[in-house]
Amino acid sequence: MSSVADVKRNLRERSEQHLRRAVLSELGRGQPSTVQPYRPPGGLFWRMLFVPLYRRLPWSVKERAMGMLGMTAKGWQPPARTPGEPWRPPPAAAPALEPRPALEPRRAAEPALEPRRAAEPALEPRPADPPAAA
Amino acid sequence: MERVIVIGGGGAGTAAATITKRLNPALKVSVFTEFSDIAYSPCGIPFVHGREIPTFEDLFLSTVERYREDGLDMRMETVVTDIDLARRTITTKNQPEGFDQLILCTGFYWEQPDVPGANLDGLHYVKDIRKSMEFDKQLDSMKRIVVVGAGPVGVEMAGGLAHRGLQVDLVDEGPWVLDGILDPDVAKPVHDSLQARGVTLHLGTKVESFEGNADGHVSAVTTSDGVLECDAVVTGLHKVPNTALAEAAGVKLGTTGAVRVDDHMRTSAPGVWAAGDVVEIPHGLNMIPIVGLTGAHAYAQGRVAAVNITGGELAYDPVWVPWGMVAGDYTIGGFSMGENLARSIGIPYVLAKGVGITKARYYPGAEKTFVKLLAEPDTLRLIGGVIHGGEGVKERCDFLAFAAKRGATLYDLAYMENIYSPPIGALFEPIQIAAQNALAAQRENKLAVAT
Repeated sequence: MSSVADVKRNLRERSEQHLRRAVLSELGRGQPSTVQPYRPPGGLFWRMLFVPLYRRLPWSVKERAMGMLGMTAKGWQPPARTPGEPWRPPPAAAPALEPRPALEPRRAAEPALEPRRAAEPALEPRPADPPAAA
Repeated sequence: MERVIVIGGGGAGTAAATITKRLNPALKVSVFTEFSDIAYSPCGIPFVHGREIPTFEDLFLSTVERYREDGLDMRMETVVTDIDLARRTITTKNQPEGFDQLILCTGFYWEQPDVPGANLDGLHYVKDIRKSMEFDKQLDSMKRIVVVGAGPVGVEMAGGLAHRGLQVDLVDEGPWVLDGILDPDVAKPVHDSLQARGVTLHLGTKVESFEGNADGHVSAVTTSDGVLECDAVVTGLHKVPNTALAEAAGVKLGTTGAVRVDDHMRTSAPGVWAAGDVVEIPHGLNMIPIVGLTGAHAYAQGRVAAVNITGGELAYDPVWVPWGMVAGDYTIGGFSMGENLARSIGIPYVLAKGVGITKARYYPGAEKTFVKLLAEPDTLRLIGGVIHGGEGVKERCDFLAFAAKRGATLYDLAYMENIYSPPIGALFEPIQIAAQNALAAQRENKLAVAT
């Protein structure tokens, strides 16, 4: 493996190890049936400097830094996380998955669905704007 | 005739080989595996040791002959020692074998404890079914086992061996079992269940050395908490991607040390694909590559490689990692991440917590199910969760992982439809309850952001 890859791997391994150990120690405090994690000697730089500094940074900065350092995956397209977006078959999918021809238009004589009565109480509306973080 | 070589006969390898052959019968597909068996479930091994599954034979899903009948060229007990990408050959038994397309499914090996005595006889690693069959016979004359590592396999082995009536000590450096995936608020029921089976927990405890007898067989484990005498040791530390062949051939590895692939399972080398435990896959939330996924992930990745090799077009999505297991007798699960991991990475979240029941309250056997969801503070989109207790944990985790992948929010879940049928579902779905609780807290400005 190249030295750059070695450095990246080592950085990830060490930082994860110390960030995790710090969180385990804090989250477990006061929880029934838990103890403090074993803490090996050494790691002063990581414990005293890296962990507090990393935690002070906003997530958006951490995310950017990880991208810049090449710690995130390349060649991947995450699916859109937009609610309501319909699934579509991949472009070269098997013929059975091709979109079906459109159905014939509904006949004019077919009775329309009964409209919702105006007096009917509406369900609790979904907020128009994203809620503010409390 | 074009030839596809698959190295590895686990979930990814068998999926890649069988589906490639099915999609294009004209291809010659060869599977090379160092083992004598194929198509068995290694995940079932702890439950055979625990006498919850009657025999190891129950774990076999198919036979080598069956694969041969399907037209596959099966090379059992054949170790691949080299890959030459320039000549498009692999080497086995000092003989080159040519390929047009190569699929690496070399899986993982267990991390060996880095302490004195780790090479003694009697340290068992849960992987190869033949070795497990031998170990199982030896267990009949044993009384006391030390399990090192309280990850999923360590917990399953500890619970299983205790169920079999053996005295079991479970040792781990972490503050609670399964601390890589589980949050501390779930520690108590899990620990209680393991202890009820007879497992003695030694948490926050480091293994310092393994001691052997005159025959070179392990007889005790020295820990930071004292000496534990034993007849054998089961080790279940970390799964390490088995990348030796790939790395030597010049295939690029990623930040986890596993083989880097794109969403079509293509490696950095043309005509070389990889799938299963040997690859790293990005997490859907943050695109950070991860390893240590499940057999179901491995199979699906093998299928993606097969479709693309045969001229199809199929992408594998970044993962949202639904997981679940039984620890002792207690069912736990989750997806994506819990508080533990979210805080370690530094992702801000709000919590939605609720307790529901698995059947109608009047129906015999109804149990409590605890739901904890993590959501983005501004949009309330799901980012992770932990669920535990009773039936339906697996199904809820599968559903939530999919919902998170598609961007579902706590609003969606608070008003989701659910089945009400007394023997299988209560009037209020526990997921709904958790989401409704979070919305109620938000209305009162009590939905705190954690980082």
